[in-house]
Amino acid sequence: MFAISDPQILLGYGLSIGFTLACIAYGLYHGYRGETSGS
Amino acid sequence: MAVDTLTLAIATAIYLAITIALGYLGYKRTKSSEDYLLAGRKQHPVVIALSYGATFISTSAIVGFGGQAANLGMGLIWLTVLNIGLGILIAFAVFGKPTRRLGQQLGAVTFPDLMGKRYNSPFMQYGTGIVIVLGMPLYTAAILIGGARFIETTLGVSYTTSLLAFAVIVALYVIYGGLIAVMYTDAFQGFIMLAGMTALLILTYIYLGGVNAAHSALDAMTPLVPETLAAQGMQGWTSMPDLGSPIWYTLITTLVLGVGIGVLAQPQLVVRFMCAKDDRTLNRAMAAGGPFLLMMTGVAFTVGALTNVWFYREGGQIAIQAAGGNVDSIIPLYINQAMPDLFIVIFMLTLLAAAMSTLASLFHAMGSALVCDVWSRGKACVHSVRSNQVGCVVMMVASVGLAFLLPGSIIARATAMFMGLCASAFLPIFAVGVLTERPSPLAAKASFLAGALSWLLWTVFVHAAEAKPIGISQALFGVPTLLGAPWSLIDPIVIALPLSTLVIVAVQALSVRAAAPVTEAGAGE
Repeated sequence: MFAISDPQILLGYGLSIGFTLACIAYGLYHGYRGETSGS
Repeated sequence: MAVDTLTLAIATAIYLAITIALGYLGYKRTKSSEDYLLAGRKQHPVVIALSYGATFISTSAIVGFGGQAANLGMGLIWLTVLNIGLGILIAFAVFGKPTRRLGQQLGAVTFPDLMGKRYNSPFMQYGTGIVIVLGMPLYTAAILIGGARFIETTLGVSYTTSLLAFAVIVALYVIYGGLIAVMYTDAFQGFIMLAGMTALLILTYIYLGGVNAAHSALDAMTPLVPETLAAQGMQGWTSMPDLGSPIWYTLITTLVLGVGIGVLAQPQLVVRFMCAKDDRTLNRAMAAGGPFLLMMTGVAFTVGALTNVWFYREGGQIAIQAAGGNVDSIIPLYINQAMPDLFIVIFMLTLLAAAMSTLASLFHAMGSALVCDVWSRGKACVHSVRSNQVGCVVMMVASVGLAFLLPGSIIARATAMFMGLCASAFLPIFAVGVLTERPSPLAAKASFLAGALSWLLWTVFVHAAEAKPIGISQALFGVPTLLGAPWSLIDPIVIALPLSTLVIVAVQALSVRAAAPVTEAGAGE
C-alpha cells in the first residue's frame, strides 16, 4: 500500500491518522455536546 | 544568499511586525503576575491548541528529527504516533482537565508550583524547579541551533549573528509581554507553520512524481544504505531497522520513546492546561491539536526520508552525504536547493515561527522556574513581574552560551535527552499528583529522586551516546561506559522511567493509610 512494504511503517501511519481522527471526534463531542462541567 | 533579498526582507518585516504587534497586545493586556505567568487563565481553545502545538513543535522536530528521518528512514513515524496518541489525546483527555482544576484550586502558577502545592512540599517545588533550570537550557540551546543553522544557510548571515539575533528578538516579547504575548504569537506562528508544512508535503510529492512513485523510488534506494548503517541494523528508508540492532535501540528507545513519552510531562506544556477557562476549552483545543501535530511531525518525518530520493536524483548522493555528514543540515539544504524562492521564504518563516514559539515558552518556563520556584519560592514571584523578567534574561543568556558549546548533529539528541529527563523525573509525580485523590509526598520525593538520579547516572556512565563524549566514566574508571552492549545502547528513559514509576507506586501503596489528605482538590471533582 502506497508503495511501502513494511507493515510496521504502514501501521505507524495508520495509527497516526487514527489518533488524529480520535482527537477530532473526542474534542468536538465533549467540547460542544457532552460536558457541562467547568469552572 | 539563496533567496531574492527584497522578497525576503518584505516577508520577514511583515512577519516580525505582526509578531511584535501581538507581543505588544500581550504587554497591554498583562495587568497582574497571573496574567504574566498564566495568561489570565482564560484563553480561547484555538489559541491554546495552536500555542500548545507550536510550543510542542520546534525547529528540533522539523530540522533535527526531519534530518534523523532522512538518515534513519520512515520508522520515525512511530514518534508521530506517540506525539498524537500521548502528546495530545492522553495529555488533554486524561491529564489536562484535572491539571486545570487543580491549578485553579491551588492557585498554582508554574509546574513546580503545582507540584509543591499538590504535595504540600517545598522540596518538590525546589527540586522540580532546579531540574528545569539545569536541564531545560539543553533543549533551548538545541532549538536555538536549529533556527540559527537555517538562517545561516538561507540568508548567508554568520551563525553567531543568527543565533544572537534570534534569541534577543524572542526574549524581548517574552520579557515584556509574558505568557499572553507568548500565546498570541504562538497562535500566529502556528498558522504559518501549518501553511509551510502543508506546502512542503505537496511540493515534495509533486517533485518526486506522486505518492506511490516517491515511496517506490525511496524503497528502491535500499542498496544505497551506507555500509556503516547497514552493519548497525538499517534495512532501508521505508523499513524499520533490525529488531534489537544498535539503530533500532537509537530509533525506538531514544528518539521515539524518549520524546514521545517525555512530552507528557513537559513543564512548558503543562502550564497550557492551566491557561484554560474550563474543561470544554481543553476539549475543543484537542480537536485542533491532533491535526496540527499530524501535519507537523508526520510531514517532517515523511519528507525527511524522501529527501534521499531528491538528493540522489539531483547529485547522485543520499541526503546525509549531500549534507556533508551533518544530520541537522539536511532539511535546510533540501529547502534551499529543491524549493522555489517563494517557498524558501515561507519555510524560513515556518522555521522561525516554530523556533520562536517554542523558545518563547521555554524562556518563560525557565525564567519563572528560576524566580518563582528556586530563587524566591512562594514570595516575590506572585508579586513581581519584574523579577520574572530578570529570570527570563538570565536563562536566555545561559541557553545562548550553551548553544555555542554544543557539537554538531546535536539537535535531536539534546531534545531527546531533555524529554527523557522530564519523563523520568516528572511524569510519575505529575500523574499521581493530578490523577489520585491522596498523593503521598514521600512517594513523590522518592520517585522524583529515583527518576532524576538514575537518568543522570545512566547518561553519564552507561549510555554510550552521551557517556563517551562526556568522558567522566573514562576519567574515573578507565572505560568509556560501565556496561557493554546492549545496555550501552539503551536510552536512560528506558531504565529511569520504570524505576521512578515503580518507586512511586510502591511507596504510595505503603504510605496510603498513613498519608493525610494534602488538599481537598482531587481528580474528577
